[in-house]
Amino acid sequence: MLRQDINELLTQTGPGTPMGELFRQYWMPALLAEELPENDSPPVRVKLLSERMIAFRDSEGRYGLMDEFCAHRGASLWFGRNEGSGLRCPYHGWKFDVTGQCVDVPSEADNSSFCENVKLTSYPLVKIGDILWTHMGDPAKRPELPEFEFVHVPPEQTYTSKRLQQCNWLQAFEGGIDSSHVTFLHSGGLKTDPLFKGAKGNEYNLNDTKPFFEVADSDGGLFVGARRNAEDGKYYWRITPWVMPNFTMVPPRGDHPVHGHFWMPIDDENCWAYSYDYHPVRALTAAERQAMKDGNGVHSKNIPGTYRPTANMDNDYLMDREAQRRGETYSGIEGIAMQDASVQESMGPIVDRTKERLVPADSGIIKARQKLRKAAIALRDEGVTPPGVDPAHHRVRSAAVVLPQAESFLDSCRDAVKVTPGVRQASV
Amino acid sequence: MPNPVPTPQPTTPLIYASESARAASAGEARYRITAAIAPARNARIIALDPRAVAVARRIATGPWAAAGFYRCDAAPGGHAGGVPLRRLDGEPVALTDLLTGTDVVVVLATDDSGRAQAAAIGAGCGERAIMTAGLVLGDGYEAHEAVAALRPYARVLLLSADESDVVELLTALRV
Repeated sequence: MLRQDINELLTQTGPGTPMGELFRQYWMPALLAEELPENDSPPVRVKLLSERMIAFRDSEGRYGLMDEFCAHRGASLWFGRNEGSGLRCPYHGWKFDVTGQCVDVPSEADNSSFCENVKLTSYPLVKIGDILWTHMGDPAKRPELPEFEFVHVPPEQTYTSKRLQQCNWLQAFEGGIDSSHVTFLHSGGLKTDPLFKGAKGNEYNLNDTKPFFEVADSDGGLFVGARRNAEDGKYYWRITPWVMPNFTMVPPRGDHPVHGHFWMPIDDENCWAYSYDYHPVRALTAAERQAMKDGNGVHSKNIPGTYRPTANMDNDYLMDREAQRRGETYSGIEGIAMQDASVQESMGPIVDRTKERLVPADSGIIKARQKLRKAAIALRDEGVTPPGVDPAHHRVRSAAVVLPQAESFLDSCRDAVKVTPGVRQASV
Repeated sequence: MPNPVPTPQPTTPLIYASESARAASAGEARYRITAAIAPARNARIIALDPRAVAVARRIATGPWAAAGFYRCDAAPGGHAGGVPLRRLDGEPVALTDLLTGTDVVVVLATDDSGRAQAAAIGAGCGERAIMTAGLVLGDGYEAHEAVAALRPYARVLLLSADESDVVELLTALRV
């Protein structure tokens, strides 16, 4: 359980809130690069951390992210004309460049300097990998660009999707470090999902439903180790890294691509799940890429033209009780992503954590909440830069290994949980 | 007369009579049953070494509903059950008695001096199906062997923990 005031502290990410300020220390995914596919493509509405913005790519290929509303009368610039190196409001023709600077006010005299004093709030927007990243905090404290491995491998080795999740970011994120639910909620997928099935590790997962956990600090957050019995007196370990505040990786399975998520607050009752798959040393096969586009693995099948899942709360997630009875899915919901989203959204927009009954197996979640709270307060009260801002903290990997019982996963996997270019992931 | 064009029939309905959207709304959350939640755990917290004992003493003053705090002396002798356990006030207690009626044991360690006791406590908990958690206070390097001794039994090991982790864990577990 969590006190109500702490629950509010962790779940509120709007401007001026402690967690909102924490998030604003980091480079964060703002949208997928595919959403602005070419110069002068249509602008895109973006809401992050309870701020409404407009993203666009100008005639020179520069990306911009700025206040959604025109400085003149407050019309949405989503209706704007993206042309001539700027976004022009269709109402009275005011025009803004990618920095939010007003560059033209047609009603003013030709030589007027009026527009020099008009500037919309704007944030940087930088393409790395398949993602456009932004930093919404103090420019003077802007950190180096992110170095997560999945956005730095060659394009043919990586794939990223996103989906809307209609609940607070924290309850979505907490699923990302909760290894004990896999054996139940996702048990069907371990046997059938083309991006999961066939790995030896799946057998350990399915044969031992009561994992043991070890939770250890890392420079950027935590490593959560889940241990299950393997053969010959050995343990099967699944090691989940968390980089503060919202990056998680799923331990790999066999030679399948490695996957994970960013859990990005839209507002306090909605978030984006950015879901990635990559292989450190080889290109994704055509079959793998197609499986990802089809919504397998950690990805979702979305309503065409949107990032809202086809199965969503408005259609009871296409619940299939017959598939549940047949054992094809454990919950009746198809797909790993929507199995998670359905139960997490069912908790309500912001779950009341004062009513929880946690168990020791939830220690990873307990520790993560504590680290978030401490970091938010240390930033607010003392200006302490939180873990995970330093790009060096991004160079982590998940791992799945079989170890002798006496060995510590931390000692044995020091190299496996670090990014080593050209070296494949540690996986069973 | 032209042939009629067959109308495609969807294999699945496009619109469902969904209750999930309404049920998950903030408004509906008001109708959740509110009932007092009783402490669910009868916990025993055992400190394995002097620094861990100091932490246990400070934490023991907290508002716990069902928690007992104990220490483990380094040198065994004269203690039933083979584990030299005492309450924090010094009164000896047998491991068997300590574990009776307990459903979670939290072991605190800062170094390796309590590794043998850790193994014995872990085995005792394992025999009785008592949930066991181990918290290693500090950077963990000094308690490597104690961790290894606990590993087969502790459902959860929190490495590189600090004093506040103990409080957070007990609070979260509603001890």
